[in-house]
Amino acid sequence: MEESDRSSPSTPELLSYSADEEPLELAKKAGKKNLLQWMEITVSEPEKRTVTSMKVQDTFYVYLIETRITDNSLACKGDGTTSLWRRYNEFELLRNYLECTYPALVIPPLPEKKPSYLWQGAPTDKFDPEFVERRRAALEIFLLRLAAHPILSQDRMFISFLQQDEGWKETVYSTDFQSKSESRLKALSAAYRLKKPEKRFEELKNYSNELESNIANLLKIRARMADKVYGIHKVHSNYGRVFCEWSGIEKEMAEPLKSCGHYMNVYGQTVEGILEEEEQYADQLKEYMAFADSLRTVCRKYECMQYDFERAEDNLTNKQIQKEQLNLGKAGSSFSLTGMKSKIFGGDTPEQREQKIKQLEEQIKQADVDLRKVGEETQKFIDTALRDIDRFKRQKVKDLKEIFTNYAIMQIKQCKKGIAVWTSAKDCLTKM
Amino acid sequence: MADTGYSSGSKDEENDSPTKSEEKRAFKDPLISGLDVTDDADMESLSLDASGKSDLSVSRSSSLIANLSHFEDAEDDTHDLFVHVDDPEKHTGTMESYVTFRVNTKTTRSEYDDSEYSVRRRYNDFLWLRQRLEETYPTHLVPPLPEKHSLRRLDRFSPEFLRVRQAALQKFLKRIADHPVLSFDKSFQVFLTAKAWEFQAYKKQGTGLLGRVTDSLHNISASYMNKNRPPEFVIMYDYIHALSEKIGVMDRICQRVSKEQAEHLIELSEWGPIYTLWSNSEEELVPSLLAMSEAVDKCCQYMREVIDANDDDFAQPLKEYILFTDAIKAVLRRRDAIQMEFDATVDELNRKKDEREQLKISDQTYSIGAFLGKDPEDVKQQKQDKLEHNIEELTKQMEELNDKTVCADTDLRADMERWHKNKQKDLKELFMSQADRQIKYYEKCLKSWEGAIRKIQAKDLEFITTEVPEEPTQSDS
Repeated sequence: MEESDRSSPSTPELLSYSADEEPLELAKKAGKKNLLQWMEITVSEPEKRTVTSMKVQDTFYVYLIETRITDNSLACKGDGTTSLWRRYNEFELLRNYLECTYPALVIPPLPEKKPSYLWQGAPTDKFDPEFVERRRAALEIFLLRLAAHPILSQDRMFISFLQQDEGWKETVYSTDFQSKSESRLKALSAAYRLKKPEKRFEELKNYSNELESNIANLLKIRARMADKVYGIHKVHSNYGRVFCEWSGIEKEMAEPLKSCGHYMNVYGQTVEGILEEEEQYADQLKEYMAFADSLRTVCRKYECMQYDFERAEDNLTNKQIQKEQLNLGKAGSSFSLTGMKSKIFGGDTPEQREQKIKQLEEQIKQADVDLRKVGEETQKFIDTALRDIDRFKRQKVKDLKEIFTNYAIMQIKQCKKGIAVWTSAKDCLTKM
Repeated sequence: MADTGYSSGSKDEENDSPTKSEEKRAFKDPLISGLDVTDDADMESLSLDASGKSDLSVSRSSSLIANLSHFEDAEDDTHDLFVHVDDPEKHTGTMESYVTFRVNTKTTRSEYDDSEYSVRRRYNDFLWLRQRLEETYPTHLVPPLPEKHSLRRLDRFSPEFLRVRQAALQKFLKRIADHPVLSFDKSFQVFLTAKAWEFQAYKKQGTGLLGRVTDSLHNISASYMNKNRPPEFVIMYDYIHALSEKIGVMDRICQRVSKEQAEHLIELSEWGPIYTLWSNSEEELVPSLLAMSEAVDKCCQYMREVIDANDDDFAQPLKEYILFTDAIKAVLRRRDAIQMEFDATVDELNRKKDEREQLKISDQTYSIGAFLGKDPEDVKQQKQDKLEHNIEELTKQMEELNDKTVCADTDLRADMERWHKNKQKDLKELFMSQADRQIKYYEKCLKSWEGAIRKIQAKDLEFITTEVPEEPTQSDS
């Protein structure tokens, strides 16, 4: 990621801070924009663990998270390195916490729980070493994305996820982050009731859907293609076998046939490597497909905000209408409910009306304050969200270009492999 | 030379009959000496012609000489008969539609009045020629014709089908034209030169007596397993069976590859458009996504070319060799039949000889003749005379059949030598061209991906000004 100003010389005064002060604070003061600028994070060594509690066996993988402070000026107690084990569901907890705490931010997605978009030969088991290894890589990327984020990387829970081994879970739960997420329930139906949704979020919602479906299609077809590529290569191994057998009945052709057969076998074997490499491309696309969901979550949260805002607005207008009607008083010859009421029960006395108007004015004032508050919150939300979405989009453009370039490089490598094998095979044949 | 075992086997067989080994030696020596020189020399065409020996009559015994001359001439590389097939033309009739091919001939042979001919022939005419040759030369290997129908290209008027067929017919005629015996056949000459009506008239003359004879021989031999088959032919027989199995497997693998590739192609052709579709919702990634789409589409096209070439230029020629193994099996059966006739005669002769020996020591006193009042000595003499006569006739017959067997063996041996040499060259060419196609395919795909990278990276410099990628990815290449 961008570490452009990492090389900036650290000012000597930084060293004068007390050793007790946390590196995070120090970093902020040193003008570090994100965690990555001063910390190295790796996820390594997946390890299988089995825990038996209440006669139920639970098997899972834990991943070793290691951090190292790279900026010497920020080093404090110890050697500046930590290492601890976390399992997938702790990552999940971290992400949930962040999603609730920072509703306006595009939270990076976690790797998929179960292997998806598989070709036939790929492992389907979620304990398969290959799948675990890919998950490890994806979890590392997840942490790196968080660490590179200007806001998320400053989060204390995140920092302690990386560094605090004991009691992290309890600390997270103690923040009561879940109470904030209750509004999510509202969001489900909010979209239908919005009067004037922000256009940009509507567009973003559409965009997320398109992103998801386009990548899903790419992945679907890629899985089918992988099957075929596998088939093509494996059938070529059969050529290898026949050539070998055939060489047994030939004399002068025997050697060239045999060695040519060998290269056909080699060609058949290259497919495993090819498909493994392609799996990486699929994983990278999958991350962006999951990002679509992160974007949609932000949209839903926006909708909740907007819904609250519109309700406050409605509240205010209702009150204002009521007041106006009261002001107009008897003149109102409408069939309105209040009009009917006043006809049946007799009109209010002027005093009563006076009081009511006064009461309404109070309420209007309150509603106005509420509205302004919600409005400000909404505006703040919109600003934060749009800024983060903008950041996300820039990152996305950069990433996807890199992903596509890597894919093309991979294709070139595969072509070169193919050329090498067939050239060797051809060389054998020239001796025929 | 592709002596796949049977020439080594022939050593065991030297004491078979004096005539055989004598002839074999005569035929083998030039073979060996000729081969060492021509073996790996560039053989551009199937130039194994007994060219220039136009004075050779097309008799059985000629094959030996023809064979010798073939090896002498192989180095000279002189051809005097060139046949070229081109210009398929569809004829739509009321009853049936068919395709004719133009058969062009250039020759310096004295049997031909002109030096150039151009006639139109249809597939059935080729079929007729092949049958006629097989009937006339049952002990020679007549090259196979492609099957009448193709499974892959169902439309037999499609240009692709005609292109492949034309190539196969061309190969068929070339193999005959290069053959030291078959190329001098009268029917072949008629096929190459006769005007349409002359040709039809000639065809109507029907098959000769010889054809029917060999047919009947053919039938007997079908169920006949020759125990006395010389080892060289046993080896040849086993080899051909093994080879036909191997090529059969090759053919099936080839079909499988084509099938997998075709299915892959279907998926691949859907993949490119998705990138294009995606570009509708990614303003800044439009060039990158279109570059991906373009590269995938190009690979798609290259793959399509590979699949087509794989079938037309690999699977079909491979099929020719399957058919060749069938043709060889048929010749071997016919050879067996001739030998069987010889063996039967030898058996009969030996029986008569035994009888004669028995008769010499036998006492005819109690024979039916003596019983009827004849002098036992007379009876004995009479029987002896009869046996002597029988033996004399059988010996004559045996000698004739021996000649015939030797000729058949020689014909077949010579043809197989030539065939092995051609086979090695053909298969080499076939496999090499297959490898070449694969290499070219990968090279083309590689280029298109290189192009894609350039397009993805080129835009990078314009759009991303804030974050310059750290490693410049070979933008200068």
